[in-house]
Amino acid sequence: MPHSYSAALPIARVVLRVLIVLNWLFAVAVLILLFVMPHEHWLMVSLRLSPGAEATRILWGMRAIAVIGLLTIPLYHLILTRLLAMVGTVREGDPFVLGNAARLQAIAWVLIALQLLGIVIAIIVRMISSPAHPINISAGPSIAGLLAILLTFVLARVFAEGARMRDDLEGTV
Amino acid sequence: MAILVKLDDLLHARRMTLTELAERVGITIVNLSILKTGKARAIRFSTLEAICAALACQPGDILEYLPDTAEEAQAA
Repeated sequence: MPHSYSAALPIARVVLRVLIVLNWLFAVAVLILLFVMPHEHWLMVSLRLSPGAEATRILWGMRAIAVIGLLTIPLYHLILTRLLAMVGTVREGDPFVLGNAARLQAIAWVLIALQLLGIVIAIIVRMISSPAHPINISAGPSIAGLLAILLTFVLARVFAEGARMRDDLEGTV
Repeated sequence: MAILVKLDDLLHARRMTLTELAERVGITIVNLSILKTGKARAIRFSTLEAICAALACQPGDILEYLPDTAEEAQAA
């Protein structure tokens, strides 16, 4: 079967590999942040907080957000590695396999989990933010995120159907 | 599979080998073997037409419906 050359696949492979590494670097950064956080004095200075109930609330909120950030690392890793595997199947010339349908299904569920974690972060930000110390972290559900979930679930079904049709075609004489 | 492919019998009756048939109908011997052994999931009309033309027969001479179970036979 003739294949038209597209730069998208090699670019996607490189970008995904870079993102996998960046994701783990982010994990290291968050871990460092969590270790630094017990030294409240540093954080108080950097956030220009004065000791008190509000400062304690903000610090605990930041810790909780950092922990949630840490939870997203394996989730993003799952998405990136599944996508990389899918790109691999396209390179091998056989993308319509049930494995890719399962990968997309897994990605869709992970995207839901990320949206839920985003909502939790948004709630924490709302709880710790005050007019005196506004916390600007954009988190929470987004239309684009919800559409991505829907699209991924639909694509998973498309790949499952594609795999079935391909099986039929292979058995056709 | 309830559909029986009787290509072997036809080839025997026509004293033709699978290789000869493959050459006449322009289908690989591997694909014809898949069809002959009943491992094919589907057959194209164009393949059926080519085989019928090469063996001077009707589709019904190549394919036969055999119900798998008694219930299937009753349903039919």
